[in-house]
Amino acid sequence: MSTQAGMKQSKSFYLVVAIASAIIIFITLFPFVWMALSSVKQLGELYTVPPHWIPDHPTMQNFVKVFTESNIPRYFLNSVVISVGSTALALMLAIFASYGFARFNFTGKKFFQSFVLVGQLLPTAAIIVPLFITLRVLGLMNTYWGLILVYTIITLPLSVYMLTSYFQAIPVELEEAAVIDGASRLGVLFRITLPLSLPGIVAVLVYAFVTTWNEFIFALCFATDSSVKTLPIGLVEFSTEFTTDWGAVMAASMVMTLPVALLFVAFQRLFVGGLTSGATKG
Amino acid sequence: MNRTYVGLLFILPAMAVLAMLIAFPIVYTIYLSAVDANGVLTSKNFVNALRPPATARAFINLVVFVGGSIVFQVVFGTLTAILLNQNFPGRTIVRSVTLIPWVVPGIVAATTWAWMFHTEFGIINYMLTDSGVISAPIGWLTNKDTVMPVLIAINVWKLFPFVAIMVLAGLQAIPAELYEAAKIDGAHFWEEVLHITLPQVRPVLVTVTLLLVIWGLNSITLIYSITGGGPANRTLITPIQIFRLAFESFQFNTAAALSVLFVGVAAVVVAIYMWVIQKTGEAR
Repeated sequence: MSTQAGMKQSKSFYLVVAIASAIIIFITLFPFVWMALSSVKQLGELYTVPPHWIPDHPTMQNFVKVFTESNIPRYFLNSVVISVGSTALALMLAIFASYGFARFNFTGKKFFQSFVLVGQLLPTAAIIVPLFITLRVLGLMNTYWGLILVYTIITLPLSVYMLTSYFQAIPVELEEAAVIDGASRLGVLFRITLPLSLPGIVAVLVYAFVTTWNEFIFALCFATDSSVKTLPIGLVEFSTEFTTDWGAVMAASMVMTLPVALLFVAFQRLFVGGLTSGATKG
Repeated sequence: MNRTYVGLLFILPAMAVLAMLIAFPIVYTIYLSAVDANGVLTSKNFVNALRPPATARAFINLVVFVGGSIVFQVVFGTLTAILLNQNFPGRTIVRSVTLIPWVVPGIVAATTWAWMFHTEFGIINYMLTDSGVISAPIGWLTNKDTVMPVLIAINVWKLFPFVAIMVLAGLQAIPAELYEAAKIDGAHFWEEVLHITLPQVRPVLVTVTLLLVIWGLNSITLIYSITGGGPANRTLITPIQIFRLAFESFQFNTAAALSVLFVGVAAVVVAIYMWVIQKTGEAR
């Protein structure tokens, strides 16, 4: 059925492929086109029946509003600090844990690996109450550290899983040679294993950053002060019970989507490779 | 040096963080669910959690939402994967574009779709009335019969790319010789799909479906930000109910009891799924 490279394909094959591709592209992209168009419309034009496809008088007023009259700039900074911090922490923990799982045999290894898996499977709603109490006891409510730690447990399990399979794919002989030459375990890890697993590291980085950047419900519960609130919360704040400033919401959505979109475009191949390798291997 | 000791040392920091923020909360949830405000052992939290009709309603809604989403996610995802597995010019571009819904923040997807489904000024009502498909605008998100299907559709849009990319990886891992052998035997397109493609991507579909179930049980962002559970609890799901109990009514013990029940049911569902997969795997 599939990729018969070099074989001549019939006209109807290309017709079906073209139509299917067009439908998929339309469905996936249309909301973003509409978001972009709405973000540059004036208030009056947003609320016109029938709606205008192309704005008559494109304006940046929604963006100006988002950047000068809302908390979005501050939330953007908070999001960057929390996402970068949590990604760095998760990566560091994952590197050591994955190396331990990939290269050593020890009692309880199976137990610890299942424990990591449970962390991935556990519904977040189920631990939200005790996490709230834990953070309050530790004095970490409404702090960067609180959200950084909480986000680490969301991203750590899958990061450990991905990196372990990367480390296992690196021949042990390379490391043994270095050990014979007198390198320490840590030296081996940082000078030989890590550089060889760069694609895996990047996959984990992108995964952890995007996941924490997009996270909503933990931020809603554990960051109630504007000094630590993140962008997803900012987006919701444009809506009150009775009205929503749709122009500003669409402009803020653009601002929020841009970093993840750029990151994803830049690292797409590595990211998809790292993600799918586990699933196809077993 | 003792290797047992070294290995444990490597995993220790990660395990410590997971113990503090996953193991401890689990144990503490169980404790909270079993005591009253003064720390005295009681079963009334479970009674309080189960008594309101909203609890059953929320659970049924969750099953409908997750089940409905998964069926369409897997079907559309697999069809997209089959398309992306063909050789045609522009394939890489289509693949990149397909992934976009999955990467954008859930909250952005939620607000954008909410704007598009807006009753008065939404583009969807305009397109449907203008083309004559419907005669009058529909209150998609306020009508109790349309709100759940609409939310399922948005959820499918958000996650079918993930299914597509995973199944595509599975398709590309199938050895070409299998198809060549089938060609020689004179197999038709659908025979190839049935006897080669599906059995070969089965492990991927199993993994993906399990992930979709877990993410589905977790999906709170989309529904909470679009409807908040309304209208009239039509889209109330258990995670939102737990959230509300804890952070709007501040009934931590009742919320904990509901959490325990929720995790218990979720664990049973996942266990049954794994068991069925294993059974059918052996039977083949």
